[in-house]
Amino acid sequence: MLDYPWIDRFASLNSPIHRFDPRAKIIAFLFLIFSIVFLNEVKLAFVGLLASIFFLILSKLPLRFALRHIRWVCLFIIPFFAIMPFTMEGSEICRIYGLKVTFEGVEYGALITLRALSAVILILPMIATTRFEDTMKALERLRVPGIMVQMLMFTYRYIFVFEAEWERMWRAIESRGFRLKTTLYALRMIGRAMGMLFVKSYERSERVYHAMRSRGYTGNQRTLSEFNLKRSDLLLSTLIISLGIILHIIQVVV
Amino acid sequence: MREAVTTKNLNYSYPDGTIALNNVNMAIHEGERVAIVGPNGAGKTTFLLHLNGILHSLPVRRSGRLPALGQLDFTDAKVKIFGKNVNEAERDEIIRDVGVVFQDPDDQLFMPTIFDDVAFGPMNLGLNEDEVRRRVKNSLSRLGLTGYDERCSHHLSYGEKKRASIAAVLSMEPRILVLDEPTANLDPKSRAELIGIINKLNQEGVTIIITTHDINAVPELVDRIYVLNRTIIAEGTLREIFSDAELLKENHLEVPEVFKLFEVLKCFGYNCEELPLSINEAIEDLTKTIGTNGGHIHLHIHEHTHEEMKKVKHKYRYDHH
Repeated sequence: MLDYPWIDRFASLNSPIHRFDPRAKIIAFLFLIFSIVFLNEVKLAFVGLLASIFFLILSKLPLRFALRHIRWVCLFIIPFFAIMPFTMEGSEICRIYGLKVTFEGVEYGALITLRALSAVILILPMIATTRFEDTMKALERLRVPGIMVQMLMFTYRYIFVFEAEWERMWRAIESRGFRLKTTLYALRMIGRAMGMLFVKSYERSERVYHAMRSRGYTGNQRTLSEFNLKRSDLLLSTLIISLGIILHIIQVVV
Repeated sequence: MREAVTTKNLNYSYPDGTIALNNVNMAIHEGERVAIVGPNGAGKTTFLLHLNGILHSLPVRRSGRLPALGQLDFTDAKVKIFGKNVNEAERDEIIRDVGVVFQDPDDQLFMPTIFDDVAFGPMNLGLNEDEVRRRVKNSLSRLGLTGYDERCSHHLSYGEKKRASIAAVLSMEPRILVLDEPTANLDPKSRAELIGIINKLNQEGVTIIITTHDINAVPELVDRIYVLNRTIIAEGTLREIFSDAELLKENHLEVPEVFKLFEVLKCFGYNCEELPLSINEAIEDLTKTIGTNGGHIHLHIHEHTHEEMKKVKHKYRYDHH
């Protein structure tokens, strides 16, 4: 089995977040993510991070699974935290190799890091606690434009097919004696193989489209689903949304 | 009987000008079981795509080039389904009547869950929710997929995927079922089950049109054959087609193994009027012959045996020129 981007692997666990109605879950967490991302105060952003971690723990998602997804984002965040202290004007804290480290720089770097980390952590309880197809249906019910939902849906559906296709091609390449080296020849080979994958994908997309048209596809698509909002869903979403609002109220008042 | 599918002078060229179909004429009656056979690249799949208007017959110019899009004339439709022209305007109705099952289930199952896939067609027909659910349940159970509703298609076995893709078409309750190589890549059990399912649908009145290279499945699946190689080369009952060795060879075809075996038996003096096409027919034929011959069959090597055997072997050989 390949290492698929299996985001909903732990969607069948049981936690308050898992029981949360997918539509309410998406709206509430998106609201909280945006409110944390727009905070300007480091201390409040830190509270936001703590809240995010709280929701992650509440969702009972395994820590290893969460870290695996978070670590890639960290690769993009860490450079900010490393560069910001040197580039912002402000009061000097110390000098490293003659470069001035400013208090404002450290503060701003920390702010960016905290905001980004919170957002990434919150995505997990939002997405990984629902089966992917239910998330798609929830988006559809929330009147997200059909074309976007369909693109997401097909991407997810065919990632598996493409990975298998690539794997088959790669096996065929290797079984005929090709070894991956950093030579121009090897790079050219990989380029060609990838080109082939594009051609294959294009042809498959045509066949899929034929199959869709054969069953009456006209561009709009609807699915059936059973969502019902319970009182606990309302309570939880009110709680999450108020948290976002309160963070901003504190920022304005203090 | 009513004509379910009629094509008249159906032409199609690929965008690069290669002619794929050249004046294809066909008439299939309601309730028939028909196979379209022919070599690889003969245009079988291209032909099937015309049956529900995915592709349209285009007037082929002598130069082999396509006319500009504005010059296309769809009013003179080349395909008729139950007497109705297949064109863009009537597509909704045509789709209701003609269900196409594609060869690769991964092309056919594109929704997140099996339920959504089977519901896709009925939803597009604009049916109400109760009716959609009823049809999904019904077609899943007919293909032995009850309880698969929430499964994802990429986690199913190939045989299950194949059945799911038929369920997805069946839920539209088509009167004509078109299957592109239904038995390809299936294990013997899945293959046998699939043949059973197709025949059951036919008994309920569904017209069956298949393309296949699985010549041993043909006697179990259909009553009539079209040999297609860009144009219709021949048409007839299985026995008519299988008896024409020249025709078969020219179109890279062959006959069922049972048929070959009885040709061999004939060389050893076995006497039968009609060569059996399937195991069932063979059992019937043997029982009859043994019965009329006083409880046994008599095989022997006579003066022409070797000569005739040579001929039979030669008839079905592709490996020398």
